[in-house]
Amino acid sequence: MKLIGGFVPFRALAVARKEFMHVMRDPFTIAMAVGVPVILVIVFGFAIDFDFRGIRMAVYDHDDSRLSRQLSEGFSSSGYFTVIDGRSPGAPVTEIEDGTAAAALVINPGFEKKIARGESAPVQVIVDGSDNQKTGVVGGYISGIQKAMTVKLAGAPAYEPIAMRSRFVYNPELNTQWFIVPGLIVIVTGLLSILLTALTVAREWENGSMEMLLSTPVTPLEIIAGKILPYVGLGLLGITFVYVIARMVFSVPFKGSYVVFFAACLLFTTTSLAQGLLISVVTRQQQKAMQASMMSGLLPSMLLSGFIFPIESMPVFFQYLTMILPPRWFMIIIRTLFLKGTPVEGLAVPFFALTLMTVILITVAVRKFKRDVEP
Amino acid sequence: MTAVTIDKLTVRFGAFTAVDNVSFTVGRGEIFGFLGANGAGKTTTIRVMCGLLVPSGGDVTVAGLNFSGGANAIKEKVGYMSQKFTLYDDLTVEENLMFKASLRRMDRDFTKRRMNELFSFIAFEYPVSTMVRDLPGGVKQQVSLAASLLHGPAIVFLDEPTSGVSPAVRARFWALIRQLSGEGKTVIVTTHYMDEAEQCERIALMRAGKLIALDSPAGMKATAYPEPLLQLSSEAEAGRQAVAALGVNPEVIRMWPHGMRYHAIMRDEDSLASFTRRLPPGVKAVRIKPSLEDVFVRLVEGVDR
Repeated sequence: MKLIGGFVPFRALAVARKEFMHVMRDPFTIAMAVGVPVILVIVFGFAIDFDFRGIRMAVYDHDDSRLSRQLSEGFSSSGYFTVIDGRSPGAPVTEIEDGTAAAALVINPGFEKKIARGESAPVQVIVDGSDNQKTGVVGGYISGIQKAMTVKLAGAPAYEPIAMRSRFVYNPELNTQWFIVPGLIVIVTGLLSILLTALTVAREWENGSMEMLLSTPVTPLEIIAGKILPYVGLGLLGITFVYVIARMVFSVPFKGSYVVFFAACLLFTTTSLAQGLLISVVTRQQQKAMQASMMSGLLPSMLLSGFIFPIESMPVFFQYLTMILPPRWFMIIIRTLFLKGTPVEGLAVPFFALTLMTVILITVAVRKFKRDVEP
Repeated sequence: MTAVTIDKLTVRFGAFTAVDNVSFTVGRGEIFGFLGANGAGKTTTIRVMCGLLVPSGGDVTVAGLNFSGGANAIKEKVGYMSQKFTLYDDLTVEENLMFKASLRRMDRDFTKRRMNELFSFIAFEYPVSTMVRDLPGGVKQQVSLAASLLHGPAIVFLDEPTSGVSPAVRARFWALIRQLSGEGKTVIVTTHYMDEAEQCERIALMRAGKLIALDSPAGMKATAYPEPLLQLSSEAEAGRQAVAALGVNPEVIRMWPHGMRYHAIMRDEDSLASFTRRLPPGVKAVRIKPSLEDVFVRLVEGVDR
């Protein structure tokens, strides 16, 4: 049976069966596809945490009153801060400079009396701004504690001109792991899928077996299809393990449809495998293929997929650039399915983008596939 | 009936011309040999005929099919054994052959029968469940040969099939080649062994991408050596030095070492008679018929150029 473009399914299946045998005899490939994603998700899932706790704060309490001590306790009891006594009166930045504290709280004399008189009692908070991501988060904590302590120490105001009450949906406690772990699935699966196939065609060229393949009637499309098939299965197996880790170890909720999740994983794995194959077809050398995979697979997905940095905050050029990166679209799908559970219509654009990219990558790989053994 | 027609074939890799305006035909059922030094263009010519290289110029017709119809149609009809081992080391012998058969949708039972038949003919003595990486180099050649013949191709291209193979197995390889020819199958083979080239019906001799001679082994010897050829030898060391000095004699066109002896091309019958009469003591001269090696030395290495 021949399909359009001379594609003969039985030849693609023969290649797939052969590739499957290679995989089954190579413990490194199995470990890379299944073991490595699990380890990486566990390690990074615990290591990457935007909830900063135990931030050391040097307190300079020049009032030494009941209310000033309550204010200090307000910081320590929040869990975000560990309060230490300031040791350099008049120079609260000393602790920040020598790294023993990331913030300092300075309470001036007369703090309690001013509150008792119903006057404003200024308190200085100094924060280490050298890590601006951490500073932003700490600033949020301080603002929250300030509001809570104002009510506690001075009583609730009689009138609030704008009574703003925030509520966070999908991730009410802003749990970092709920946000990071689904993103890690995208990064790890994408990179490993690219690596899995990036070596396969290059290996055939290097060990000479491509000459044997090309001397038979098998076509580039059949070779590519046959090489992708077993790795799709392997990739999906890896994702399944990672999904179990996300749910069991990190308690990330899953609110979407399993069918959509499976379809999205299948599509993204195929896209990444096709990307790896294109690299392999073009480089024809395992070492070059490995380097190209790391460059095209790891860096863009870490930096430009929305994994850590929001795409909306990037310069316009980079926002457009992210559109040609498969992880950007899979990131949307995965985070949506885990935390929001939007119906499939809401994911039509990411699905379409991934499908389009898969078709383009496979087409280019087939066209770039060298059909002869010219050196 | 013609199996292969090559007309003005030229293959260039950038500025380098690997095959230069080569033309020949190969008949159905013929054993056709390619001889030439490394880099002469033998493998390149074979790769073009198998559809593995696109010619830069000229026409190639294999099994009645031209490249204009696509190389795949040609690949259906031919079998190819590469100079380099091209099967998979991490598959067993049987898995390798089954994979090749499955690319051509061959029936599993038929493939097994055919595999056993071929292995029995070439005296392959290892279990088919052996991993290919565990086989010695020469034995891998047996697997490669079987893989190229598995589907019963009408035309078989064998690129140095016997390199690294033991003499006994080489003999079996050639018995199989003769049997294939007897069945009407065309075998095109490259070799560096002159005794193997002798078994070809015709030989194409290539040098620097050009076809410099094309004939049967006997015809090639007669054409390459119209003059008498002498073999000179001496038992004693002094005699051997005297033999070496004979090369400057005006009756000798060219002389070159051949193992412990020398071969010398004489100008004509008179020169031969006069030369042999004046031989130094202890030097023995025997008139010999040229071998293919002598032809190779004269035409390919160009000893009298």
